[in-house]
Formats: sequence, structure tokens, C-alpha cells
Amino acid sequence: MNAGEREELARLLPFQVEPELPRDRHRHLKEFVMTEIHQDARPARPKRRLLRPAVLAPVLAAAAAVAIAAPLALGAGEAYAISKKDDGTIHITINEAKNPEELQAALRGMGLNAVVDYIPTGKRCSPQPRSQSFLSKEEAPLVVWPSQEEGFTIDPKVVKDGQTAVLEFSVSEKPDLQVAGIWAGVSTGPVADCELVDSTEAPLGPPRGN
Amino acid sequence: MSIRARIRDGDTEAFEQLFDEFARSVYGHAFRLTGNWSTAEDVTSLTFLEAWRLRHRIDANDGSLRPWLLGIATNVARNTRRAARRYDDALTRMPRSEEVPDLADEVAGRIDDAERLAAIRRVYGRLRRQEQEVFALVVGAGLGYAEAAEALGISVGTVRSRLSRARRKLEKFAAEREPPRPSRQVRGDRATAVRFTREGYR
Repeated sequence: MNAGEREELARLLPFQVEPELPRDRHRHLKEFVMTEIHQDARPARPKRRLLRPAVLAPVLAAAAAVAIAAPLALGAGEAYAISKKDDGTIHITINEAKNPEELQAALRGMGLNAVVDYIPTGKRCSPQPRSQSFLSKEEAPLVVWPSQEEGFTIDPKVVKDGQTAVLEFSVSEKPDLQVAGIWAGVSTGPVADCELVDSTEAPLGPPRGN
Repeated sequence: MSIRARIRDGDTEAFEQLFDEFARSVYGHAFRLTGNWSTAEDVTSLTFLEAWRLRHRIDANDGSLRPWLLGIATNVARNTRRAARRYDDALTRMPRSEEVPDLADEVAGRIDDAERLAAIRRVYGRLRRQEQEVFALVVGAGLGYAEAAEALGISVGTVRSRLSRARRKLEKFAAEREPPRPSRQVRGDRATAVRFTREGYR
């Protein structure tokens, strides 16, 4: 095929719209892939279920450093803000890393059966997974990306009767409140309460390796 | 020793070079196929994990590994769920990009980009999957016919015929194309974060 033919095809379908893999994502994905591969390259390792926190820690530290994209000012009033959009999605911003139960109650007030926890740096929930019956991200895409504004957007429509939206936010308060990330899943069964325990693993979501 | 041979022998440093060299290509290809930035990241990671698993299949010629990688990416994108099952355990460790994307420099054109992208995806969605894949490889990623054939494990003749079928359809669609509807359906994909760039043809 010559360049002319290609150009002609490209005109028919202007395919040049293409995202670049942002540099930090490139780095994260590479660290992830290389960590997996290094493990695989060492056949003597017994089982990958034995985590390698020391190997993962730099990845996670990097992730945490970059993931903090929405530093929110303290003293902005309410500890959180939620609003319902025209398309039925709910937008959440967190202003203070306290009283997740208030946010939870507010979401329930909007008809969403939600469980909300804030996970400080260096902690994660126990037990994990908190449910034996999480739907996959494809089955229940609860988080809407990208959010149109600062904060997080979820789509309550994917949570059906009898199901529970489990929302975990990773937060740190030093030096300012920073909400680093959200993990959201839809459970079709009972959801365990989150007891915060010390952890060197990724703060949010189901556990690694089982 | 060539990078191909080193990777085949399990040299992780060589594999890291491969990632640095081609992650962008793989990501771009995955995005063209899936239209979803987040899925494209998953496909990118899975593609490299698959490439590592399949490294013994790398033969000793001295060509670029890019067609091979894009072929793996095509298979992964075609059946992400199956690929994901293989690496289920690993994927729970994958760092999710569930931060708020930094769109500061991209806000200006976001709605235009989203609408334009949606219009393109509507047209693209009317092609058959096999036509989409050939189109993405040849027109999007700039592979030659022979490279696309290698990537997909099909003959050059088949590449040619799929592409010409795609072309006939696109010409037909172009003739009947309706003006793009305003759309705010940007949920869950990175329509707002695309930049207008074109991958260099290599």
C-alpha cells in the first residue's frame, strides 16, 4: 500500500484521533507488567499468592504520588458534597476525611444502597474481599470516568434492587486532605464491614492474589 | 544478540526495552479498537503479559516486533475477558488509573473532541470486526499489508480483501453520512482526553 492509498482511507475514517498514553500511566503499567514478569522469570518462587510487598511498594508509592490529582481545600464547609446530575449520575466530592457514614447516609437518602469507607494512607479494609459476589466492572460500571469535574462520579443505575454499592476512597490528611482514588464495586450479596488494618498493599478494593 | 533473541531467552531487561518502545503503539491500537481509554490500558498490560508468555514463539528473523505485538493486542482486545481470566490474579494488582485525570491542558477542546470521536466510532462500528482490525492495523498503526497479515495470522490476500471491503463500506457511509449529532456520551471513555495526534508510520 502506498501513502496515497492510506491517506485516502484515513480521509474516509479520520482515525487520527488517538489518545497518548500519559507518561505516568506508561510508568505505572510498565512497573506492573515488569513486576509480574520478574516474578514469572523466577521459577523457584513458590506461589505468586505470597505477596512481595517490598517489590510492590515502590509501584504503589508511585501510584499514590501521581494519583493524588484532586487536592481539595479544607474548610470548604461540608465534609462532602454530592449532587445528582441530569443523566442520573451522582457526583461526589470529599472535603474532609471524616464521617464517611454521613456521606453513606446521604447516598442512601438518594436511593442508592451504598456502603462508604475512607481508607487512610497505609491502611486497607479487612476483610478483603468484602463480598463474595462482586459484579465485574463490565457488568456493573459504577464509576464514571472521566468525571466532568473535580471529584468522583458514579452511576447509581447500575446498582439493582437488593444489590449494594461498595465505595472505598483512599484519603490522606497530610499536609492537606487529598483524595487519591476511589474503588467502587457492586455486590449482589452481603458486604462485610471495613475494619482498617495496617497494610503495605494497595489501599483499595479486593485483595491481591486470591 | 538481538532483542528478539534476548526476549525469547527470557531476558527481562530486553522486555522492558520492548515495553518502552512499543507501549504507545499498543495503547493507540487498543484505543482504536475499543474506543475506551481505560480498556485500552487493560489491553496494553494484558498484551505485554501475553507477549511474555508467548515469547518462545518469537522467531529468529530480524524484523520489528511491533506487528507481532499489535497482533497480540488485537486478540486481547477481541476477547479481553478471556485474556483477563488468564491473568485474573495479576490484574487485581494492576494500578488502576482511577484518579481524576489531569485535563487542565485539554479542557478547551474536550467537547469537540468527544463529539468528533463519537462520530468516528459510529462509522467504525458499522464495519465488521475483522474489517475494523485490518483497518486499525493498516490505516491507524501504519502497518504494511505483509505486517498486518503477520499480525493477524492471515494471508496478505485476506488483508487486502478485508481492507477493500472496509473501503467500499466507508465510501457508502460517507455518501449517506448524517451530520454528527451533538453527544455528551463521554462516560467511561477518555473522549475528553484525546489529543489529535497521529502515530508515525514506521
